[in-house]
Amino acid sequence: MQLTIENLTVKYGTEIALEIKEPLTVSEGDRVGIIGSNGAGKSTLIKSILGLVEYRGSIRTDLNPRQIATHMQFNEYTDAMPCKYIMEVILDTKVSKNPRLQELIHYFEFEDCLRKKYDKLSGGQKQRFTIIMVMMQDAPLTFYDEVTSGLDFETRQKLVEKLVNWYQGKTSSLCIVSHYYEELEQLANKILILDKGKVIDYGDRDQLFRKYCGRAVVVFDARSRHQELVKGYRKLASPAHLTALSVKDEAEELAVTKLLLENNINYRRSNSDIEIMYSNARQTFYGEGQGDE
Amino acid sequence: MNKQIQRKKLSASMLLFEFRNITGNPYIHIFGIGLPVLMVLIFGNVLASNIPDGEMLSKAVTGLFLGLGTMIPLAAMLVGYAATFSQELEKGIPQRLELFGIDQGMTIVSRILAELIFQVCSFVIYFAVGALILRIEAPAVKGLFCYMICIAALGVISFGLAHAVALLFRKFGITYCVTMILYFCIMIVSGMMGIDYEMLPPPVQAAARLLPTHYFVKDFADIWQGREYNFIPMLQAYLFTGALAGVLLFFSLRRRAGKNA
Repeated sequence: MQLTIENLTVKYGTEIALEIKEPLTVSEGDRVGIIGSNGAGKSTLIKSILGLVEYRGSIRTDLNPRQIATHMQFNEYTDAMPCKYIMEVILDTKVSKNPRLQELIHYFEFEDCLRKKYDKLSGGQKQRFTIIMVMMQDAPLTFYDEVTSGLDFETRQKLVEKLVNWYQGKTSSLCIVSHYYEELEQLANKILILDKGKVIDYGDRDQLFRKYCGRAVVVFDARSRHQELVKGYRKLASPAHLTALSVKDEAEELAVTKLLLENNINYRRSNSDIEIMYSNARQTFYGEGQGDE
Repeated sequence: MNKQIQRKKLSASMLLFEFRNITGNPYIHIFGIGLPVLMVLIFGNVLASNIPDGEMLSKAVTGLFLGLGTMIPLAAMLVGYAATFSQELEKGIPQRLELFGIDQGMTIVSRILAELIFQVCSFVIYFAVGALILRIEAPAVKGLFCYMICIAALGVISFGLAHAVALLFRKFGITYCVTMILYFCIMIVSGMMGIDYEMLPPPVQAAARLLPTHYFVKDFADIWQGREYNFIPMLQAYLFTGALAGVLLFFSLRRRAGKNA
């Protein structure tokens, strides 16, 4: 066990921003994806763990603060000097004398940015700058709060790919807040679903998927003609423009996909779709048709 | 293997980082060095045109030079540091550095040392101008030592005030406004802007006597020459401004600690 949170309450004024009643544990090697809409309490959770907001309740950890690395949602540094000097003082090392740091700089293609001042970096370069320093901490527990927000699709993909490869085979635990669920499909093995400051569910990603979606989901356009065709199959909660069907076994999956193929309907099949899982977890938590904004 | 950063309490790299942080701000060069040099040259020439060449002019120019020298710690620390630090607070930079394990106490110590180093560099330029262009009087060893100590103490008090004001307001705009008002008020009341102490109304004179800068303008030419001087009023002014900065700093740090709790 690296981190246990229990009976946690965080208030902003009189409003409860986050409430966690049941114990929530992060163990060594866990890669926890923290999801939820805006105001769900994701960043508040990280801030309370880091002691940046006042809270009531219990946050227990066997790690000291130096063993926790954090990539905040917003990371700013002085613009008075080139990034290299900031990096060197934060990491208490010299780029020229540290092969591990050189490797990371090379890995994130940051060599040319070292001479630039922080305000002259692009969004993606700024994110990579903090990521390099966070990774250099090599902490047993690392938080990434919306590490790819504000980046274009291609930069996001590249960054996530680099993160996935870097952490492959490592035992460090990660807590990743993201609105991009496809990133978490690559990075996370556990999911914490928050909504309006409450825990909807927390657990192994695959188990949660099976709990809320079954064996797999088949997703396609939500046109009325399509709805008629798939009557009789179990429909899941999904974004308004999509229809998501739950398939309980291979035979049903084959039947559904055959039907869609015969009718020339584009579809996507997944056994790890976090977006559909999130919608159904919320629906289960609040009951049918409730809990919507 | 765990490779967490083992940071020293105070390091040369941290000191260099803070020094770069100061010198990376272009305004600090303008207000911290350029403006005092420019003002002392302008006012020095005004004095030269009004006082006949001789011992009296030399003493007047030296007095002016030593008084205007206080603009360096005031501009660099009170205004410059407050502006930089408030911008950092707005951007959350101190918190970001803390999350990387850089202790706030270590940052403050490094900053104050870096500011004092910058102050020394500024005074080297300022004194070069004074000696080569204005031909100020050569000091007695005791006078020079006294000036250095008093300027350093003024710098530390200015730093404390700047840190407290920035922490209290946490916004660049209001912090800059408050410190600029303080800066100009101190200069006007202390007689650096052409208004003599004797011309001030009695309540303002009383306020002036509470400022160490007043004694720089009024009396430091005598101290500079090693003449007998009653340091008690000046010491009281230092104690008053030091206590004020200390109290403000205490409350601002407590307020911040409360917010971060």
